[in-house]
Amino acid sequence: MSEIHNDEIKKTNRPVIEHDNTYWLSLENYNQDPEMKKLAETEFMSSPIREGEKQEPWARREFLKLMGASLALSTASCVRRPVQKIVPYSKQPEEVTLGIPNFYTSTYFDGQEAIGVLVKTREGRPIKIEGLESHPLSEGGTSVRAQASILSLYDPDRLTSPKKNLFNEKRTNKDTIGVKWEEADKAIVEELKKGDVVLLTGNYSSPATKALVSDFCEGFKAKHVSWEPFSYEDIKKGQELSYKNPVVPFYRFDKAKMIVSIDADFLGTWLMPTVFTKQFSKTRKDFAKMSRMVAFDSQYSLTGANSDIRVRIKPSQQLQVALALINELVFVQNKSIYAGNAKLKSWIGSFGNLAEGLLLEPALLKEVAKDLWENKGESLVVAGGMQAHSETAVALQLAVNFLNSILENDGKTVLSKPTILSVQSSHSEMASLIEDMKNKKVKTLVIHRSNPAYALTEKSEFLAALKNVNLVVYIGDRMDEMGQQAHYVLPENHALETWGDVEAVSGVYSIQQPTIRPMYDTQSAQLTLMNWAFQAKVGPKRIQEFETFYDYLRNYWRTELYPKLGKGGTFDAFWDGVLQAGFVGKLEDSSSARSYNVEVLETIKSLPKATGYEVVLYSTLQIGDGTGSNIAWLHELPDPITKIVWDNYVLVSLATANKLKAKEGQIIEVETNSVKLELPLHIQPGLHDDVMAVAVGYGRTHGGQVTNGIGKNAYNLAALDKKGILGTGSVAKVTVTEKKYELAQTQTHHSMEGRQIVIEATLKEYQNKKDHLIHKHPIWSYWSGHQYNGHKWGMAIDLNSCTGCSACMVACQSENNIPVVGKKYVIQGREMHWIRIDRYFTGTPENAETVFQPVMCQHCDNAPCETVCPVLATVHSSEGLNEMVYNRCVGTRYCSNNCPYKVRRFNWFHWTKKIEKPLHMALNPDVTVRMRGVMEKCTFCVQRIKEGKNKAKLEKRPLKDGEIKTACQTSCPTNAIVFGDMNDADSQVSKLFKNERTYALLEELNAKPAVHYQAKVRNTADLKGGGGHGHGEAAHGEGHNS
Amino acid sequence: MLSKKSVIHRAIKGLIGPLVLVIATSLTATFSLMGCKFQPGFGYNKGYSPEQPVPFSHEMHVGKHGMQCQYCHNQVERSKHANIPSLQTCMNCHLQVRTDSPYIQKMREAYDNGKSMEWTRVHMLPDHVMFNHSAHLNKGVNCQTCHGPIETMAKVYQYSDLSMGWCINCHRQPENKAPLNCTTCHH
Repeated sequence: MSEIHNDEIKKTNRPVIEHDNTYWLSLENYNQDPEMKKLAETEFMSSPIREGEKQEPWARREFLKLMGASLALSTASCVRRPVQKIVPYSKQPEEVTLGIPNFYTSTYFDGQEAIGVLVKTREGRPIKIEGLESHPLSEGGTSVRAQASILSLYDPDRLTSPKKNLFNEKRTNKDTIGVKWEEADKAIVEELKKGDVVLLTGNYSSPATKALVSDFCEGFKAKHVSWEPFSYEDIKKGQELSYKNPVVPFYRFDKAKMIVSIDADFLGTWLMPTVFTKQFSKTRKDFAKMSRMVAFDSQYSLTGANSDIRVRIKPSQQLQVALALINELVFVQNKSIYAGNAKLKSWIGSFGNLAEGLLLEPALLKEVAKDLWENKGESLVVAGGMQAHSETAVALQLAVNFLNSILENDGKTVLSKPTILSVQSSHSEMASLIEDMKNKKVKTLVIHRSNPAYALTEKSEFLAALKNVNLVVYIGDRMDEMGQQAHYVLPENHALETWGDVEAVSGVYSIQQPTIRPMYDTQSAQLTLMNWAFQAKVGPKRIQEFETFYDYLRNYWRTELYPKLGKGGTFDAFWDGVLQAGFVGKLEDSSSARSYNVEVLETIKSLPKATGYEVVLYSTLQIGDGTGSNIAWLHELPDPITKIVWDNYVLVSLATANKLKAKEGQIIEVETNSVKLELPLHIQPGLHDDVMAVAVGYGRTHGGQVTNGIGKNAYNLAALDKKGILGTGSVAKVTVTEKKYELAQTQTHHSMEGRQIVIEATLKEYQNKKDHLIHKHPIWSYWSGHQYNGHKWGMAIDLNSCTGCSACMVACQSENNIPVVGKKYVIQGREMHWIRIDRYFTGTPENAETVFQPVMCQHCDNAPCETVCPVLATVHSSEGLNEMVYNRCVGTRYCSNNCPYKVRRFNWFHWTKKIEKPLHMALNPDVTVRMRGVMEKCTFCVQRIKEGKNKAKLEKRPLKDGEIKTACQTSCPTNAIVFGDMNDADSQVSKLFKNERTYALLEELNAKPAVHYQAKVRNTADLKGGGGHGHGEAAHGEGHNS
Repeated sequence: MLSKKSVIHRAIKGLIGPLVLVIATSLTATFSLMGCKFQPGFGYNKGYSPEQPVPFSHEMHVGKHGMQCQYCHNQVERSKHANIPSLQTCMNCHLQVRTDSPYIQKMREAYDNGKSMEWTRVHMLPDHVMFNHSAHLNKGVNCQTCHGPIETMAKVYQYSDLSMGWCINCHRQPENKAPLNCTTCHH
């Protein structure tokens, strides 16, 4: 071997690591903090600590208890142990084949959005939620909460039978006793007959339930009030004033080429995020007509993270942004019919310089306005959500509606038909209910799907007013905060145990099917109402005559929907068709444009005065409003932006933290509306300096053993009055305390040592130099490589589509029986997720942009892990899979040390042994449950590969491309993940591998990963980060001999 | 710094584990080799033949009456499991046949009450082994290849040792064209 050759080998083997801070994971990373570097060098952060060595509240949380399969070794006798029994069916159900799953169409409804799903059941128990691809709204996409809803079915904290609370005189203390349904019904009906009944519920999207509720209200002369913490009444009010049409319009992001969002987190939490994510991703795939999205963000939302241009604002600037856009468009660039309107001109002139104070270059404002106008009819301006519940909430809607009207978007991207029917919650109705209760106008209050005892600010005096009500009945699934205050707590079925229907967007009717017999002595809330009407003999005939809600529902469909939607044929055939498809009806494409009532604009008189720190209340996509948060998967899921688990915190900017002289994790006290809240501080890049952002949905007291005591209840920072709720924008007083708190953050783990991992380009760069986008490394190898004669599995991940929504992480957890470890062990870097989403910031801490990158086992051809395992527990398969054999693994962890992608996870403890019954029923029987001391990692869902191959073999046909889908792939609402056979030249994955944006992680190591990524393209003039290897040739170190 | 005492303590602690293991293993091995009818191999259960609640005879049903295996194990061609038939399948015949037998009466009683029988499992693989009956059957493997002369068994016993070596032996034969990847069985 020549000397030159030797040198070459040396260099290839030991490439110089380029430390650059173009892409950074955290501020410590950005500043090249030596502490951080030291941490990154340690694999698992610390030496082993024995389980339960230091018992902390959350360590005691025993959410992991598995059926104790007694694996005692057989000794000294011929009796085999364990002796297992087989109990076959007495009468075999026709549809059950042992070992073969059944799928049922259903709909997941979380209070806002409806997602069409397929529920996978094995031997009669639901184990996994899959997206329903044919559903016209969600089109196969799912959300983290839809995926996790399987776990709430098996929640050990669910109520198993009706309960009665015996209060003392002042209702300060109580005894809880069990009660029979008949007794409870009888007592409640007696009270209901006395009149003054109010039915307080959450959002209903079910047309049959709405009919039932109106029957109930008619029968008992009851009043119906809808309340949930997230209300969209500002949108309704704005639509009413603007168009005399009080609806929540349906938005078409898939038809918009230019999108401006003012604090509406439509990819994360606003209205129907999964549906909107699906729509939005469609506009990002074709680069010839790629959409542009501009986000004005007062919190670091998922929408802001995925925008092409993100501008940080504070809540008091939301209206200012909208008005500045109107001014720029109509009066500076003289567009639209209002261009010469003197009256409007003098009105907008009264605000003075609208661009003042905005952290936005004037040129950018011009460009945004220009883009909006150039795409008129195909642009969209949205605003609202929790972050916009300030005193200007309605004014903001008026301004936004005006923009959409002059841009001719109304009827094209903003539809007044169909509309969103699933959100009825009204804070003003709640305020008047409290008033009525105070004045003793309510004798009986029946509550369903609504938890004001937790999620309504304490200042509303709801709980005090509740004591004036003679009888409080709560229909819910647990003895939660509301249940504690009710005389009767009647357990309801889980959504997977009950019939229902959903019309979230008008015209599309989905069905909700039960997939398991009710596990406990529970019944659907609807049946409870029906029973009362039957016993009191009140209400229309249909509420009294049916024995079950299923009969009522079927009757409703027969009489109301079948005449409208049935295309000939019998009702039974129509009904069976609906059950099979999961839905009926279709989305209307456009509606007629409405005329904007321009006078209302002039009711906007002034902008809010901005002084000091402003509170921003926001919701996270994993916890939502917090009412269904007793799910360990959701708490363990890192927040997409902060990557923090098991907590809420105050987000502040770096400059503000420095000004307050506060460090990460220091506890600060935020005081607003005379309420104080102490929370740890987290320094968030890209935040406005005057913002104190806090997530709601935490701080439950009676939510269940997983969620109780996690974080603090930030709803208390809001104020409620007759106009609605004031959640955001109120001025905060901030005090820094001496106390410290440790936040569990996953982002600082798995550092990629500063090597360039994500590749990003602007649209222009991409179009100009398609072939030079990816820097190709010279690769030299000793090995001839593996031969793959049959299949060769590979995966393509499009970073341009990935929004970081994290549905894949929960889907993977559900499919592969991945345990939850709790905060203590996440701090030690022992989280078990097989797929993680790395979040990189680019740019400066002031204006940080974000790139998301899902990383799982890369199934390398030359896998570094395989060569170091001393017991051959990780080996290569003939189909290119990097196999992990649990029963061989002795736990040396060499493989993990040698993995350049840091995707291997080690079972430090026997997590699954602690799963509490009946949570074990959610386990997937096709995947081995791992025990202590075993390494594990992504398998490419090998059980699905086997199932697909076997199915094709039984049907005696070749395997089709796209037939095998991994769990992460099916859950993805943007179709960012594609799995398939690389040996099949026509497969989708093979085609994607030839795409000019495609690259592999750390290609220079020649590990030859089977997972390839496609570079992100941003539709902006310039990038904050400066792209990947393709840009800036100077970045190459001497390790590359190009 | 560790004190001297704790170093010694740790050393002893470190020794105890392996020592206990060695003793336990040797004791277990001795006992199992001495006392067991079924041989060979520690941990395998070749020859295992437990008592069943009803002495169902494969010899009678299959050998004498010539019933097809799939009459009862009707999902074996579709599923990974060779299902134990539901009581209903037994009752198809036994509502008429041999109704005087106390065992049939026992089954009849359970059937009428919507109950089932509790059979003792004979063939058992560890939890980390994913065996698929349908894949083998469709490849043309006979039931008897693994289960032995089942048609002669009045009381079912485990014919093969079901060890991994036994599986692999077959998978290794070139004419079988069977996969040898670890994930074929372990995932």
